[in-house]
Amino acid sequence: MRTPRVLALGMATLVLVGACSSGGTPAPSAAPSTAASTTPASTAPSTAPASAAAKADIRIGSDNFYESKLMGEIYAQVLEKAGYKVERKFGLGSRQERIPTMDAGQIDLVAEYVGSGLGFYDKTKITGDGQANADALQAAIKSKGLTVLGISPGQDQNAFAVRAETATSMGLAKMSDLAAHQADIKWGLPSDCDTNPLCKGALVEYGITYPPAKRTPLDACSVPMAQALQGKAIDLAEFCSTQPAIAQFGFVLLDDDKKTQPAENIAPIVRDDYLAKVDAAAFKALLDAASAKVTTELLTTMGQDIDVNHKDVAEVAKAFLTSQGL
Amino acid sequence: MDGVVAFFTDPANWQGTTGIPNRLLEHLVISGLSIAVATLIAVPIGLYIGHTNRGSGLAINLANIGRAIPSYAMMVIPLPLTLSLAPVLGYDPTFGLDFLPIFLAMTFLAIPPLLVSTYAGLRSVDRDLIEAGRGMGLRERQILGRIELPIASSIIVGGFRTATLQVIATATIGAILSGGGLGRFIFDGLNQGLAGRSSIYAGAILVASLAIGVDLVLSRVQRRLTPVALRAPRRSGRSGPASVVGGPDLAAPAGGAA
Repeated sequence: MRTPRVLALGMATLVLVGACSSGGTPAPSAAPSTAASTTPASTAPSTAPASAAAKADIRIGSDNFYESKLMGEIYAQVLEKAGYKVERKFGLGSRQERIPTMDAGQIDLVAEYVGSGLGFYDKTKITGDGQANADALQAAIKSKGLTVLGISPGQDQNAFAVRAETATSMGLAKMSDLAAHQADIKWGLPSDCDTNPLCKGALVEYGITYPPAKRTPLDACSVPMAQALQGKAIDLAEFCSTQPAIAQFGFVLLDDDKKTQPAENIAPIVRDDYLAKVDAAAFKALLDAASAKVTTELLTTMGQDIDVNHKDVAEVAKAFLTSQGL
Repeated sequence: MDGVVAFFTDPANWQGTTGIPNRLLEHLVISGLSIAVATLIAVPIGLYIGHTNRGSGLAINLANIGRAIPSYAMMVIPLPLTLSLAPVLGYDPTFGLDFLPIFLAMTFLAIPPLLVSTYAGLRSVDRDLIEAGRGMGLRERQILGRIELPIASSIIVGGFRTATLQVIATATIGAILSGGGLGRFIFDGLNQGLAGRSSIYAGAILVASLAIGVDLVLSRVQRRLTPVALRAPRRSGRSGPASVVGGPDLAAPAGGAA
C-alpha cells in the first residue's frame, strides 16, 4: 500500500532532520570544561571600543602537524582559562596554505616558527638568533596588519639524521662529515629542497654537490621519512629536532656545525584588528607567559606523548599548563 | 593560467626522469600492473561466484574493503611491512617505499569494481538460455564460455573501465611516498607553495587527460567485445536483439554495474 510507505519515509526524514540539527557539535578539539566561562561581552562587534573587559571571540589556527596544533591548543587553553571564547581551526595545511588564510582574516592567531616564518618572506634576513628573527619577521609582516608576540625559549629546528649504525660505520657526528661520503648514501630530502635555501643552500655550504645522485623525495619531519630511514630505503633524513621518531628509533642527529639552520623559536602571530578589540597589553602578557615556559626539552617530551604514547593533544596541553602553573 | 602554458611549453619539462614522458610512463606502469593483477584476482573469483551463485555475499563484502578504506591509508599502513620484508625477500628497500605500497593500494582499489561487475554480468544472463544450454548437453565450462561470457562481456568490460579510471586518477598519491608518475607534478608543486601552482594544475590536467583518453579507448574496446547481435543500435528506434535477451542495454557505457 502506498500510504504507509509514504508515511514511513516522511517519518524517517523528520527523524533525520531532527538529529542533524540538534546533534551537530562537531568541534574535534573542543575544551568543554571552559564552556561556561563565556562572558557576555565576548560577542561585541568589532566597532566596539577596546574596553578592559572586552574579550572578543578569537579564532586560532594551526598548521597540519602535531606541534603546531599543540602550540595552538596551549594558547587556546590559556585564553579560555582567562575568559576568552576560542574557535579552533587547526590543521589548515602547511605554511603556504595557512598564511593566505590568515591574511584573508579567517583566523586571528597562529603559532609560528620565527626562522622559517621569516624565510617565507625574506630569506636573506634569517639568523641564528631567535629574537633577531622575530624582529625581522615583525618588520616583514607589519604592513599586513600582523603582530608577533613574545618568543619561546624552546626551538624546533630542521635537522638531518642518520641511523645509529650509519653514524658509527661512516664516522658521522656533524654535517661537515657528510661530504666525504655523499656518493654512498641515499638522501631523503623534501621536494622543495631545490628552491629552499635552508635545504639546498645548507647542503651546498657543507660541500655536497647538489642534487645528490641518490635522492628520494619525502616530506621533512614526516612519519614516512622516519619509516624510510628505519627501513633503510634512505640513509639520511631531514627531521624536526623535537620529533619523537628520533628518540624512538635511536637516530643520530648530525650537528649543524656551520649553523646553517636558523633559530626557530615559537611565537604567536596575531592580527592587529583582533588586538584592537581587546586589552592588547593584557592579551600579550597572557600569551607571553605561556610562551616563556615552552622549552626545547618540553617540546620534545610533549611530542613523544602525542606521537609515541598517542595521548590527545588537548590533554597534553592541559598537563603542560597545569605543571607550569598557568 | 599562463603559468600552466609556460609549464607545458618549457622544454625542460619534456626531458629526463622528471619530464612528462617519463612520468607518464611511470604512471602507466604502476596503473597497468595493479589493474592487471587485480583482474587476475577478481575476474576468476567473479566468474565462479557468478556462475554458481555461491559465496557471492562473502566475496563482494570482502572486496568492498578495497573501496571502504581510503587509498591513502591502504598505502601507508603496509609501509613498515614492505620495508621490513626487503632484506627477507631480497629486494631493495627503496622498492618497498616507492612502488609496493602504491601497487598494493591500487590493486585493492581495482578489485571491487572488477569483481562486482563480473558477478553482475553473469547474473544478468537470462536463466532460460542457461537451461537451454544444459538441455543441449553443454558442460558447465562450455555454458560459461559460450553463453554467459559473451552476454556478460560488456558489463565486465564496463567494470574494467571503472577500475582503470579510478586507478589512473588515484595512483597520483604514490608521490607521497616518493613514488613516480604524474602525481609527482602535483605533489612537488604543493610543496613549493605559490611558485608550484602551475605544476599542480599541469599535473591535474595530465592525469585527467590520461584517464579520459584511456577511457575512450576502452569504450571502443567494450563495444568491440560485445557480440554484434547484442550491441545496441547506434540510432534510437528499433530496440533490436537486446530486448530478446531481456537484459539491459548491454553495449551502453556500463560504468561499474555495482
